[in-house]
Amino acid sequence: MSEESIISIKNVTKRFPVGDGEFTALREINLEFTTGEFSGLIGPSGSGKTTLLNIMGTLDSPTEGEAIVMGKSVSKLTHRESAMVRNMHLGFIFQVYNLLPIYTVYENVEFSLLLQNRSAAERKQMVMDALEWVGLQDMANKKPSKLSGGEGQRVAIARAMVKRPDIVLADEPTANLDAKNAHAIIQTMKKLNREMNTTFVFSTHDEKVMGYLDRIISLEDGKVIKDEWVEAKFSIS
Amino acid sequence: MKLAFILAFKNLIGAGLRTWLNVGILSFAFVLIIFYNGLLDGWNEQARRDTIDWEIGQGQLHFSSYDPYDPFTILDGHGVIPSAEREGMIPILLRQGTIYPKGRMISALIKGIDVNQTELKLPTHLLRESEAQIPVLIGKRMAKNSNLSVGDEVLMRWRDKNGTYDASGITVAGIFDCNVSMIDQGQLWMDIEKLREITGLTNHATLFITTDMESKSVKNWNYFSQEELLSDLTQMIEMKKTSSSILYGLLLAIALLAIFDTQVLSIFRRQKEIGTYIALGMTRMRVVGLFTVEGSMYSFLATIVGCIYGVPLFLYLAKTGIGMPDANQEMGIVIAERVFPVYGIGLIISTVILVVISATIVSFIPARKIAKMNPVDAIKGKIQ
Repeated sequence: MSEESIISIKNVTKRFPVGDGEFTALREINLEFTTGEFSGLIGPSGSGKTTLLNIMGTLDSPTEGEAIVMGKSVSKLTHRESAMVRNMHLGFIFQVYNLLPIYTVYENVEFSLLLQNRSAAERKQMVMDALEWVGLQDMANKKPSKLSGGEGQRVAIARAMVKRPDIVLADEPTANLDAKNAHAIIQTMKKLNREMNTTFVFSTHDEKVMGYLDRIISLEDGKVIKDEWVEAKFSIS
Repeated sequence: MKLAFILAFKNLIGAGLRTWLNVGILSFAFVLIIFYNGLLDGWNEQARRDTIDWEIGQGQLHFSSYDPYDPFTILDGHGVIPSAEREGMIPILLRQGTIYPKGRMISALIKGIDVNQTELKLPTHLLRESEAQIPVLIGKRMAKNSNLSVGDEVLMRWRDKNGTYDASGITVAGIFDCNVSMIDQGQLWMDIEKLREITGLTNHATLFITTDMESKSVKNWNYFSQEELLSDLTQMIEMKKTSSSILYGLLLAIALLAIFDTQVLSIFRRQKEIGTYIALGMTRMRVVGLFTVEGSMYSFLATIVGCIYGVPLFLYLAKTGIGMPDANQEMGIVIAERVFPVYGIGLIISTVILVVISATIVSFIPARKIAKMNPVDAIKGKIQ
C-alpha cells in the first residue's frame, strides 16, 4: 500500500460456480485507490463492477490475488474483523437504498453509530449533522415509506456518511432516480467528498454520474480496459 | 446484547399484527398452562388436606391381615393392641353389614370410631350426644343414595364375631358433608364401643389413626405414614398432570410453530435487511442473535400480555374457585365441590422459563441460516 492508497487491488480474480462450471467475474485486476478520490467503475452489465465493489467492501473475497482495504487483506479477515472494517471505515450506498423500513430516518442514520457503541448525545449530534449535509433535518421522524426516491437515497448517503468513513462505496446510486434527483444526489456526494476528503467509489453506467467523476475505470468482461483521470464535466456550486 | 433487545423490540412492534397474533396465541398457551397446573395444584392441596382431616390423620396402623383394597379381609382383619401401646391413637373397627331403607337392601361398611376423638373432622360428638339406641353418622352421598335424613330409623343387619347374623334398628344422628367419598359412600359411622358390643369384638380394632407422625412398631400391625396413605392420591394427580401436559404441550407446539413459521418467513422476506445489517458492520452471528432475540421476545411480550388478562382471571378464580361436577365426586375421587386453584410463584416462573426457552430455541433454529448467508446475495434479495 502506498502512502495515500487506502484500497489496493492486486491481480484479483473472482470466479463464481455456475452449474457444473465457473463464471469468471474479474480477471487479474490491479487498481489503487487513494484518499479523497471520486472514482467510478463503469461498464456494461456483467462486466464485474459490483463484484469488485463487493470485494472492496469486504462483503466478498477474491478467488485469486489480494485485495487490501485500509491496510487489511480482505481474504485473511475473519467475519468479525471484516464487520469491524465495514463498521469503522466503510460506508455503503445501494441502488435501492436498502433503508430499514420500520425505522425512522433518524434511526436508519443512527444505526451504524449504535454498532460503534457511541453515547446517545454523540449519536444525536452526528445524526443531525449527517441529515443537515443531505438537507433532511426536517424529515428525521419520517419512515422510509413516506420518502420520495431522491429523499430515500439522501438518507442512504447520510447513513453511509454519518460515521465519517474513509471510503464510501456506491453501487448504482442513481439508477432508480430521475435526472434532477440524480444530479442532486451526486452533487451532495461530491460536496461531501470535497469537504471531508472521503474516498468515493461508484459502480455506474449513468452518464450523469460519470460527468462528476475525477477518475473513470472502465471494465469489460471482468477486465480493466481503461483507467483514466478525467476533468469533471459537471461542477458543484 | 442490549442493542439486540432494542432492535428486536422495534422490529417486533414494527411488524404489527403478525407480532400480536403470535404473542396472542403464545400468551394463551402460557395462561392455559398456568391455569391448568394451578387447578391441579389447588385440587391436590385441597384433596390432601381433606384426606388428612377426614380419613387418614397423621398416619395409620393396620392389622396385618387387613387389606383396605380387599373387602374379604374385613371379617378377620382385626385385633387388639395392649392399652399402653394404643395410647393417643384412635381405634376404628370395620364390619360389613346391610341396611334396609324403605324396603331396599343396601350393603354398608360399618365403621366404629371413638366418639370422643377430635383428630378427624367427623362430627362424632353427634353420636355421643344422641339419645338413640344405636346412633349412626352418614355422609351426604350415602344419605342421598339411601334416601335417609337425620332422625330416620332403619334396620341394620350385621354378623358378630362368630359369624352369626344379628339385626337392630339404627337412627341417623347426623349427616356430614365432606369431599372424601372414601369415608362417605356406603358407610355407616357409629360408636366403636357400641359396635364392639353388638359384634362381641371387645377391644378389637381394624386400624388405628395416629395423632402424631412418629412411626409405630407393634407386633401384627403395619404402620403406614401419611405420605404412604396419600400415595394413591399423589399418583392420580401426577397422572392427571402428565396427561394434561399433552394438551398444553400441543397448544404450546402450535404457538411455537407459529413463531418458527414467522421466523422462517421473516428471514426469507428480510434478507435485504439482513444484508444491510452485515454491510453496516454487524457480524453474521450478531444478526443471528438479533433474530433469535426477536423470536424469544415473543415470549416476553406473551408473558406481559398473559399477565394483563391472566392475573385478574387467576385472582378471581383463586378467590371464587371453580365448580366441579357431582359425577367426579361420586367416582371415588377426592374432589371438592369448588376447587380453589393455587398459583404458586414456582409454577409461574417455571412456565415463563419453559415458554421463553422454547421460543428461543424455535427462533434460533431458522436464524442459524443467516450465518450461512452470502451478504452480497442477501443485500440484493437473491437468496431462494
